[in-house]
Amino acid sequence: MAVAGSLSTVRKSVLPEPGDDWASIASRELSGSSTEEAVANLQSWNLHVFMRAPAAADSPQAGNPILPSDVIFVEPPAAPAA
Amino acid sequence: MYDLVIRNGLVVDGSGLPAYTADVAVSGDSIARIGKVAERGAREIDAEGKVVAPGFIDPHTHFDAQMLWDGYAKPALSHGVTTIVQGNCSLSLAPLKPDHRMRLVGMFNQIEEMPLKAFREGVVWDWETFSEYIARIRKGLAINVAPLVGHSVIRLWVMNDAATERTATDDEIEEMKAVLRECLDAGAVGLSTSYVDMDEKLQPVPSRYADAREVDALASVLGEYGRMLQIVPEFYDPDLTIARLDQLAELSLKYGIPTTFSPLFVNADNIDAVDRVMDRVDEQFARGARIWPQVQTRPIDISFCFAVPSLLFIRLRSWYQIMRFGSHDEIVGALKDKETRAKLEAEAGELAPLWPTLILRQVKTDANQKYVGKTLGEIAEMRGTSPVAAMIDLSLEEDLQAHFLSSSMGHDNDEKVGGLLKHPRVHIGASDGGAHILSFSTYGDTGYLFGHFVRDLQAMRIEEAVKKITSDTASIWGIPDRGLIQAGMVADITVFDPKAIDRGAEKFVQDVPGDGSRYVRDSLGVDTVIVGGGVAWSADKGYQDQRGDVLPGARAEAPELMAAE
Repeated sequence: MAVAGSLSTVRKSVLPEPGDDWASIASRELSGSSTEEAVANLQSWNLHVFMRAPAAADSPQAGNPILPSDVIFVEPPAAPAA
Repeated sequence: MYDLVIRNGLVVDGSGLPAYTADVAVSGDSIARIGKVAERGAREIDAEGKVVAPGFIDPHTHFDAQMLWDGYAKPALSHGVTTIVQGNCSLSLAPLKPDHRMRLVGMFNQIEEMPLKAFREGVVWDWETFSEYIARIRKGLAINVAPLVGHSVIRLWVMNDAATERTATDDEIEEMKAVLRECLDAGAVGLSTSYVDMDEKLQPVPSRYADAREVDALASVLGEYGRMLQIVPEFYDPDLTIARLDQLAELSLKYGIPTTFSPLFVNADNIDAVDRVMDRVDEQFARGARIWPQVQTRPIDISFCFAVPSLLFIRLRSWYQIMRFGSHDEIVGALKDKETRAKLEAEAGELAPLWPTLILRQVKTDANQKYVGKTLGEIAEMRGTSPVAAMIDLSLEEDLQAHFLSSSMGHDNDEKVGGLLKHPRVHIGASDGGAHILSFSTYGDTGYLFGHFVRDLQAMRIEEAVKKITSDTASIWGIPDRGLIQAGMVADITVFDPKAIDRGAEKFVQDVPGDGSRYVRDSLGVDTVIVGGGVAWSADKGYQDQRGDVLPGARAEAPELMAAE
């Protein structure tokens, strides 16, 4: 199918790969920072995931709030237009 | 002789073209002639001074359960709605294994606020497959139903408990594709999925455990049929919404499918966010993608009493836990317990500006009738207490049956909402009909469209508004032979008074199986509603013929899916 028209730049995001957690996404997408700093940034940019109620202790998701369908932002939100 | 002749009405034919005066004759289930009709009809309707329009199509409902005990989808049909799309938000009632019934009921209860007792007492569970469910609801069908199949339900069918634990294997994805094909062959209009909803244990619903590979695979099946993909994005955040609609656009382009996302609200806290989303929608449409945002006509309001959990309290963890999981006695006990009450009152501080604005709308006792219609701020002053304390005290005095209304929750900027409703790439919908029955009435959005935006504000021409909820909707969803007043089209017709059409006042009624209650609104100004050539409802005789069908039906094999602007 022919695709015409261009897209403006929007906030950059990724979808998780199998087995991803904060650290693996941080090392892949924010390799210029230390892991600790990159994870902290990711968490602050993705409060919709980071603030999620924890899964039950016996759940395979326990300890990792990232779902396979989540959108993970890899940059901060744009400043509001003046 | 014709079966039915509607005489001297103002025909607003659904095309958007100017209205004209004519008779409309019906033979069998189809429109036979439009113009001056000399022959008599076995039944005649005088439509002098009234509009004769195609039946309205509501693309976002949750009537899946109600259709099992009420083939009219009351009171939606009386508002002029002749076709409903159900099965939105990843939830349908089929395909469904017996072991999963109560789990799915829990999800409907949590997400769509549908009472557990209604399922227990109103539903005979005699189906498993999608085609068996369709056969079941066909009996006594008075309104047309275009059913989506839910992604969460397909996942449960194939993966059982693992549906809420992990991604699917290649074999499981192949099985899901086969199940989806079966559902589409049985009459499903498309697939729905959700990225936000939580189940009865407040954990993500099954569809949220699907990776992009699984969604892509299911979209490929929709591509074989040219059918719809509906999603619920993280609508509270414009960046997330844009990321989701970009995903939808890629699937739409890759597989040539229509997609839709709902809801899209005008948020008072972030009034420009909706412009950002619509700018992206425009860009994606320019690329050839079809990603229809659904916008509801009505402002957001929520009613509640403490006897049932309300989404209004979902941000207040302690309140919601008690209301969601507590029995009647446990809720009363918690509100009476000094320590718990203090904790609740402190937590309520997070929404401090809200409480004084809540209106007491209904009580049982004579002693408290004097407060009905007043705000909690006013009541608190009369009682010498705080608004939150007054809310708790009234609830205890009324045995949890004090009903409160939060009337200004957003989406009430007329200029902004009116502009959206007119937008050529906005799909009017998201009524949620049949759901949230203990929080607000999901009926009357079409009356509100004509009464508020067309008649009072003159934000749209009546021809534009009719087109938006008839032929546009039929085109977007690939529903053939409906949505226009035209010879040869199926006779789904709504006759209404343009000077009177509106939604009635919200009222609390007890008509749900299991002695259940719900909020509804009566229709105002709707005269006659015709489905498949039969009068399904009229203002003078109420509910009548049952000629509803399951759509898009066999004639949709080669749907024309591009909606005209």
